[in-house]
Amino acid sequence: MKSSLSQPLLALGATLLLASSAAAAPQVDKTAVKAGTVITLTGEAIPDGVIVIEGGRVTAVGAASEVQIPWDATVIDQPGMVAFPGFVEAHAARGIDRPNETLDVAPFLDVKDSIDPVNFYFEEALRQGILTINVQQGNDTVVAGQGMVVKPFGMTVEQMMVRPRSGVKISAAPKRGKTRATQAQALRGAFDDLRRYLEEMVQRQKDGDDFDRREALYQGRELEGEAAKGKPLACSGWTIDGFERVPRGEVDEKREPLLRIIEGKLPVIMWCATPMDVHAALRVAEANGFTATMTLALAPACWKAAAKIKASGCSVILAGLEDEELDPVTGESIETFVPKVFHDAGIPFALMSTGDANRSLWYQAARCVANGIPRADALAAVTTAPAEMLGLGDRVGKIAKGTDGHVVLFSGDPLDITSVVEHVILDGAHVYDRSKDVRVKQLFDGTRPPGTASDTSGEEDWPGDGDDPEDDDETENNG
Amino acid sequence: MRSYPSRSDRRSPLRKLRTLGIALTAGAALSAASLAAQDEPDPAASPDLFLRANKVIVSPGKSLDNMGLLVRDGRIVAMGKDLAAPEGAQTIEGEVICAAFIDPWSVAGVDASSARSDRVDTASRATDALDPYGQDEVLDDLLASGVLMMRVEIGSAASVSGVGAVIRADGATPVLADAAISARLNTPGLDPVSRVGQVDRLASALGGAKKYADDTAAFESNLKTWEEEIAKKETELTEDFKKAKKARDKKVKEAKEDGEEVKEKKYKEDKRPRPPKFDAKKASLARAVGGEVPMVIHVEQALELRELLRVTRPFTRMRMVIAGGRCALLFADELAERGIPVIVTPAPSSPGGDVGEMDPGFALAGELSARGVEVLIGSGATSASASRDLPLLAAAAVGHGLDEDAAFHAITAGPARVFDLQSKVGSVRRGLHADLLVLSGDPLSSSTRVLASISGGKVVHQAGN
Repeated sequence: MKSSLSQPLLALGATLLLASSAAAAPQVDKTAVKAGTVITLTGEAIPDGVIVIEGGRVTAVGAASEVQIPWDATVIDQPGMVAFPGFVEAHAARGIDRPNETLDVAPFLDVKDSIDPVNFYFEEALRQGILTINVQQGNDTVVAGQGMVVKPFGMTVEQMMVRPRSGVKISAAPKRGKTRATQAQALRGAFDDLRRYLEEMVQRQKDGDDFDRREALYQGRELEGEAAKGKPLACSGWTIDGFERVPRGEVDEKREPLLRIIEGKLPVIMWCATPMDVHAALRVAEANGFTATMTLALAPACWKAAAKIKASGCSVILAGLEDEELDPVTGESIETFVPKVFHDAGIPFALMSTGDANRSLWYQAARCVANGIPRADALAAVTTAPAEMLGLGDRVGKIAKGTDGHVVLFSGDPLDITSVVEHVILDGAHVYDRSKDVRVKQLFDGTRPPGTASDTSGEEDWPGDGDDPEDDDETENNG
Repeated sequence: MRSYPSRSDRRSPLRKLRTLGIALTAGAALSAASLAAQDEPDPAASPDLFLRANKVIVSPGKSLDNMGLLVRDGRIVAMGKDLAAPEGAQTIEGEVICAAFIDPWSVAGVDASSARSDRVDTASRATDALDPYGQDEVLDDLLASGVLMMRVEIGSAASVSGVGAVIRADGATPVLADAAISARLNTPGLDPVSRVGQVDRLASALGGAKKYADDTAAFESNLKTWEEEIAKKETELTEDFKKAKKARDKKVKEAKEDGEEVKEKKYKEDKRPRPPKFDAKKASLARAVGGEVPMVIHVEQALELRELLRVTRPFTRMRMVIAGGRCALLFADELAERGIPVIVTPAPSSPGGDVGEMDPGFALAGELSARGVEVLIGSGATSASASRDLPLLAAAAVGHGLDEDAAFHAITAGPARVFDLQSKVGSVRRGLHADLLVLSGDPLSSSTRVLASISGGKVVHQAGN
């Protein structure tokens, strides 16, 4: 009883501790960041640069000699550090209670309802300098539900929100228990169902109108109002011909997101595990007219379909850097560095954190540089490219007048393995300071947080934590 | 045995280049791939292709000597003895030119898990499972052995498995997306009652599909009648409107004088007929029942085949094709009379097998053909690479009594006719798609070499390269 109650509380407490300096911070409306180097990603890095943030937006950026710092601004002066716009995570199924992988076709679900603001993932994102995250449902699905772009800071989902309904996750790769044929069939079925539903709706509306007209003729009445004109009802929300007379609000809300997809109003993130899935993805997109609003999330093996992807004009998100296959004749391993293939083909690509923190965005970009991708392009793949894909190109991923007031202060170059994130300024608020990061401190000190069992001051004993002799007995009994 | 080029010979230039490229660096891989892509002519904008051979087999049993063929934009555009190669055309010469081999029963080019699946239904489609990447080795082998097209199916573990496709081995691209619906009545290890039950279940599925098709047709005719009636009524009402308005105006006036509300006349009309509830599985199977696409049923044993022939008699429009049919000789007369082709996979007899002593072994194809049954020869959809041996299987059937022309028909014009592609492929005629082979000798001889494979007008394999 004790453990189940106090563990989440403890986690909450730790987050509060981490964020304590920033709890009141959103009220700061003018902040100036001075750094030894400012990487804006809009041009050359600025030595001795200044970034002025007012009301959560960048209002000026430039050399210290040129930019006037408002007299009432809070100044963060770090001449030894490098200011950076912050990474953009194009696609992550983390920070949520559990990815929806139960229902096959569930476009009406929204990650908004499962994002957990105190999830460690968001805390870790700050520590890695990732300031914009497109949280999406999991890949093991058919049509999984809608994602949401968030920033990794805030006590409620609403505070974290950058853009709701950022896209629907669809998978072209088979969900567990399906084959490629049945997966494609399920996808096609979902859109065909929608079509039939809409057609029926239009027919019903037309039949009703026709009946009204004939009834009036029979009764000798003149038709009045809208019906007489045969004009659209008060419904201009349609982009599909023939639907003008159907009231938009009559569309079943469970089906409405799919409708928005075929109208091109709601982006799609399509997961592909193999190159043949890319073909399936492009087929379904083509058939339903959402190729232009689709971004492909690709497992490494999909590089083989690069020519096909290039022809489609879709952008890609790369989950993993290397593809390894065995030569069927010699049995030798052939490795392909995937981002280089897409870079050389001229396909816009974004990188994606995979697994643990060591595979975070800075690492992925650094690997790209090591494998021959120009530094500017590698940096774009973790900042401006994903920002463009999310439709946030003018807000995040770079530092310029008018962008969101996000700055990450690195101890050195952002792609250097020895660099760490020292400070994070989010919407002009100083939300992360490594020197006050409790967990990092404990990691380096070798101490454990208060309340955990190995803490020698040990006020609390946690049953089942493996530290008590009885625990072993219990395990044995259970075994 | 037919002589295949050695393993390394069979690897196409594109593959070799690509593998080499990957081994160097990823960047080189891409440039190598694009280099290879330039080598491959784009069918839409490719230069002309000129083929010449001492013998052109136009169709089974009919050949012309010393002919030239001109291929442009994926089609055969000219044929003639005096035809000369136009300037700039790629020229390939050989002993024999014939139509590419078509395997009527294959899983090559299909994603392996979909091919083996038991979870498909009649609305599943083989075109959704095409995998040009996972099987490129196998597909390259097919190009080298002259099997340039296959009728593929999925769901080998399911009783009814959806819409099969005819695809080209080159890139696993569909030629015909809905070639046939396939079903199976050969689940091993069942007792006789269950085996008959299997046939009954298939029959009831076919019956259900037929009812659905009938209901849909009835709805369409009802709808037409209703629409005509309503249109007539509308015209009448429009004509009578002035009268009706006058009558109503009078009534309104009266009602006003009496201080009552106007009572409108009750208008009635027949409701628009409703379509049967959409059922993707039935709609798909109904196409086979109605004869729109063939229905391929894999059946080996006499019990199932006898039952099948019995229960399918009412479905007169269905174009049934028997696949396997080890015991088909018992029903040869009925098969011939009803025009049901049999896809045979020539194999030695196995007295201990499914059909025991009745197994005619390699002689099956020859004997069926002799009794007037149309025989196709297929590799049996056991594995992707099985299709490679198709010409050998046909040769084996010839060795056991099948007429040589019938054997050639069984892997070219026959599959093209049964799966409704005779206007595109299966023979060598002006205007048809250029899916052709240039050979060093007789197509069914085991010592013949495939000098060049032309798939959709594109040279996809050349011996020695």
